[in-house]
Amino acid sequence: MAPLLQITGLSAGYAGEDVVHEAALAVDEGEAVTIIGSNGAGKTTLFRAAVGLLRPSGGTVGFDGEDLTSLPAHRIARLGLAYVPAERHLFPEMTVTENLLLGAFPGRPDPAKQAMVFDLFPRLAERRSQLAATMSGGEQQMLAVGRALMSGPRMLMLDEPTTGLAPVLAKEAYRALAQLRDDGLTLLVAEQQVPLALELASRGYVLEDGRIELAGTSEELAGNPEVQRAYLGVA
Amino acid sequence: MIAAILDGLVLGLQYGLLGVGLTLIYGLTGVLNLAHGQIAVLSAVVVSLTMAGGVPAIPAVLVGLLFAGLLLLVVDLTMMRAVYRLDGEPRILLGLLLMLGVAFVIDGLLEWRYPIEQLRLSIGGDPIPILGVSMSTGSLLASAVAIVAGALLIAFFRYTSLGRAVRSVIQDEQGAQLCGINPSSVRTFVFGLSGALACLVAVTRAMTSPIGASNTISFTVLALIVAVVGGLGRVSGALAAGVLLGLVDRLSSFYIGTYITTIILLAAAALTIVARPHGLLSRRPA
Amino acid sequence: MTGPSSPLDRLPEPVRVYGPIAIAAGLLALLPLRYSESGSMMSVITEGLVFAAYAVAFNIIFGSTGQLFLCVGALAGVGGFSSALLADRVGLPMIPAMVVAAIGAGLVGGLLSWVSVKRSLDTIFIGIITLAFSLSFDNFILGRRDLTGGETGIFVDAGADTLLRDRVPTYYVMLGLVVAYLLVFRLLQRSRTGWAFRALRDDELSAELTGIDVTRYRVLAGFLGSAMLGFAGALLAHSGRGFIGPSTYAFGDTDVRVLVMLAFGGIGTLLGPVIGAAALTWIDEVLVEYAQLRLVLYGVVIIALFLRFRRGIVPAATEWLARRRRPATVRRTDTARSARQEITR
Repeated sequence: MAPLLQITGLSAGYAGEDVVHEAALAVDEGEAVTIIGSNGAGKTTLFRAAVGLLRPSGGTVGFDGEDLTSLPAHRIARLGLAYVPAERHLFPEMTVTENLLLGAFPGRPDPAKQAMVFDLFPRLAERRSQLAATMSGGEQQMLAVGRALMSGPRMLMLDEPTTGLAPVLAKEAYRALAQLRDDGLTLLVAEQQVPLALELASRGYVLEDGRIELAGTSEELAGNPEVQRAYLGVA
Repeated sequence: MIAAILDGLVLGLQYGLLGVGLTLIYGLTGVLNLAHGQIAVLSAVVVSLTMAGGVPAIPAVLVGLLFAGLLLLVVDLTMMRAVYRLDGEPRILLGLLLMLGVAFVIDGLLEWRYPIEQLRLSIGGDPIPILGVSMSTGSLLASAVAIVAGALLIAFFRYTSLGRAVRSVIQDEQGAQLCGINPSSVRTFVFGLSGALACLVAVTRAMTSPIGASNTISFTVLALIVAVVGGLGRVSGALAAGVLLGLVDRLSSFYIGTYITTIILLAAAALTIVARPHGLLSRRPA
Repeated sequence: MTGPSSPLDRLPEPVRVYGPIAIAAGLLALLPLRYSESGSMMSVITEGLVFAAYAVAFNIIFGSTGQLFLCVGALAGVGGFSSALLADRVGLPMIPAMVVAAIGAGLVGGLLSWVSVKRSLDTIFIGIITLAFSLSFDNFILGRRDLTGGETGIFVDAGADTLLRDRVPTYYVMLGLVVAYLLVFRLLQRSRTGWAFRALRDDELSAELTGIDVTRYRVLAGFLGSAMLGFAGALLAHSGRGFIGPSTYAFGDTDVRVLVMLAFGGIGTLLGPVIGAAALTWIDEVLVEYAQLRLVLYGVVIIALFLRFRRGIVPAATEWLARRRRPATVRRTDTARSARQEITR
């Protein structure tokens, strides 16, 4: 079976200067995969290029047999590839409910999906008429994931979902992601909190200076001395 | 006094609708449409010419609404594309200067071809007493139209998925894209809506006093003041500011005098900018 | 913008720096030889010079520090009306009245700058505030009939017994003013202040980091440019027929033209404002029979210029010459990028 997401030779950057160089990766349907890398390794650039927020300078992005490379971001979102950026990009002056309703655009909001989101994040149900701007970082992260789920995506890409969260909240966020994985949603998560990410994912890639330097199962990566030294704090 | 307040409310709703058109486009694109009043008056002239051709008032008004909407829609699809390729200050400056150019072209055309053409929608019937003040049928109808239009606008932005999509692009364009919303379609739609609103305001004004080439600049300036006081990019803010300024306008003309009134309104805009440059007013950072 | 090396660069420095001003002054000085017989033509070209002076002063504010002052006419009007009132009602001699009026206009402009810098307003808000000031001023002129004559305007006595009532001498006085303003602009460009202006325009943040006092230089530009506008307005009030009315300095008549002139000639360039003023004066004269179409034409010129060239003819011509001289080295993308940056000026 062909992978759901297939990225080949992808290069992208800003002002004519590439940050990501010929990255290649693939994610099968139903898989949870992680990309680990330090700050500035190019994780965000790679994701932005994949979902159409940044025009790649080379390479291709295929999703479910479609070529996404020249599509604008809103078309890619409608094809079922949802992206939760690290900065979340919520609508600050709208309520939780309104943010969720927009997640279902252009379709009719599905009450079942909203109930599923509230089930996953009961906090959101409590705060449904609160403005997004007034919520805590953890709640905003839940809302961002919830909004992405409202369209019923086939795959969810998350960029550092634990940014700015206290360790307890970070664990909680990953518990929700694990539940989504167990429900069969395909996940691709970029992360610096490597232990959490390797626990969630079955496979992973290591991105360094814009190049994919290493790939393997989570066990292989966790056992790799380089990974241990650089990301797991093992001396 | 009561007459001045009632009059101010009607006027204020019209100001509000005028400001909404301007504030929406700015909030969405950073383009300050300095041709807003010009487009309103030009479409009023179109309505007037259509009526002179023997078309009844209501279809003629529809022609005007369509004309104004399409005009701004074409502006969005043509010259504004160059603006959207820029960011930050250059974008704002280019948008402002291009719309200033459009304003000159329309002003020049009106001055050249239709210097005295005016839209006058006189509605018969005896004045009706309200709160002890008799109001003309024309101004009653004008206020009814303005109230309905204002209510529809608020409902549209609050309860429809397209209305929410417009607000989402104003608040976070990338977030909107990630939700599957196409910002450039939303822009085109809002340009059209803004043009139609401008025409609607001109038409309701014409129910109480004739509208012609000499009204262009004051319409644009009023829209600007209302949008600024309401906070650029905020629909409900503009409607509220419109009502407030309409009342101020009527009351100060009543008690002080007209030339001071304009200065008071202008000062209100300037003071809002100085007192709350980033709070009420500025676009929130992307 | 330093062009590639050319024969011009080998000229001695004073010639290179002040030569363009001398050439422009020389050419403009010849005009009365042709037109001194015609009263109407003399007043057309004299008015052209007044607008050139406005445009050079506006260029110091907008072109150098990026502050969009939509109140050129109002500032000139502050100068014109105060000078007329100071001379005719208060009894000050004409020249001191003009100087005091110019300082008054400078203080108004400096205040506008100071407020906008203190509240760190964007271009758009500076534009709106100054526009509000302009329109308030226009309303004030119409409203305070006791001071300004309202719609009918006032006749200015001061200046009646000077050469400012004669056509040809007035022309040369105005030419002197334009040359003086150009010299001020050039000297500013070459001074430490001018260096600060350029740094400010390119990047406010890094200018601040290198220790440039942003407030001071913005306000200085606002004050100086506005005082120059006020002085030009005052000179206009005392010259010619000695009449000023509501349309003499009105936004719709003054700011619109100055903006088009500057856009046409090139924002931030030395001779751009003068070339723009000359071109527009000439176009107006050619189209005199279609005067109503003038505004349409202005609109089209603005749209076309900003859409196609983004900067006006002086920079476009400079670049065209540079490209012709070294066709291979200037890439299209570079010109596109510099064009995009140019608009911020």
